[in-house]
Amino acid sequence: MNGNLHSRAQLLIAQQRIEGISAEEQTWLSAHVAECESCSALQSQTAQALSAFRSMNIELPKNLAARTQLRVRMRAEKLPTHNPGRLLLWAIAGVSWLLGLASAPLVWRGFEWVGGELGLPKIVWQLGVALWWLVPGVVATGAVLLQKWARAERTE
Amino acid sequence: MIWAIPFSSGARYASLMTDDTKSIARGLKHRDPELFDLLIEQYQFRLFRYLLHLTASRERAEDFFQETWVRVLERGAQYDGKWKFEAWLFTIARNLVLDWHRRKKPESLDSLTGPDEDATFDVKDEKSASPLESYLNQEQREDMDASLEKIPAVYREVLVLRFQEEMQLEEIAGVLSTPVSTVKSRLYRGLESLRVVMTGGAA
Repeated sequence: MNGNLHSRAQLLIAQQRIEGISAEEQTWLSAHVAECESCSALQSQTAQALSAFRSMNIELPKNLAARTQLRVRMRAEKLPTHNPGRLLLWAIAGVSWLLGLASAPLVWRGFEWVGGELGLPKIVWQLGVALWWLVPGVVATGAVLLQKWARAERTE
Repeated sequence: MIWAIPFSSGARYASLMTDDTKSIARGLKHRDPELFDLLIEQYQFRLFRYLLHLTASRERAEDFFQETWVRVLERGAQYDGKWKFEAWLFTIARNLVLDWHRRKKPESLDSLTGPDEDATFDVKDEKSASPLESYLNQEQREDMDASLEKIPAVYREVLVLRFQEEMQLEEIAGVLSTPVSTVKSRLYRGLESLRVVMTGGAA
């Protein structure tokens, strides 16, 4: 028998398992294997090897799943929690900062005008401007600390 | 904390199929403990088997098994459900093994079971048998372990993914981050090696 035919058969035997072959190729291979002893042996050896490989028994370590579940839970406890509320807080803080920056000259002039109208010393209305800037930050920090404290309470 | 609550029997995921990738992606994003319990149970055998073939050591496979699930927890948000979950899971496991190996010595996956390494495929039968059967099984198993050790790890890996995990070539290529043509070439060589070592057939 032609050596090329054997090569083709050998390729198809592997291809059948790896990629699959067409119906025509399957018909040709079956016919060839029926007549060729060496290719038939190769085909059954391949089937035998794969069958043994597929049926390998592996014993799992004792309580592998339970121990892994416990470890995953413990790790989860340490991970920072995804908190949409905090994201919102940061977004509001960002917008507030931008607005504050944009309106700073107006606020300055406003406090200056009120200070002039009321006859206040310059230092007083300037302190007012400083507080105008500081108060939102102090409130936001307070909110974050309060949230942390509440979470710690829940955990305990 | 939600993680401190004793786990229920996973009622929410009772009907979860492994191809329900969107549900899995959602659960991973929210680090849902019920889902994690279920996935660890469901994939324990397959993931452990894959790691055992990669590392050729039960202890290492066990370490990487746990490490893989911790990584899944930490990076769960990255899973978008477009891939099969097992492909993503195996990619994480594989990368962990490769990272460890690169730290150990900067060589390829081939050296995972190099001849200098005293590792054997420590696989055992689950079913108990009579002493004689056990002895024969043990012998047979040791033969198979020794046979598989002769196959380079890169080939063994694709053989596991194709013939034990029944993955498609494209999925294997995704796990390995290699072109499909490389996967095919490794599979052809791997299958030939497997045939030769398992049956003692001529190369």
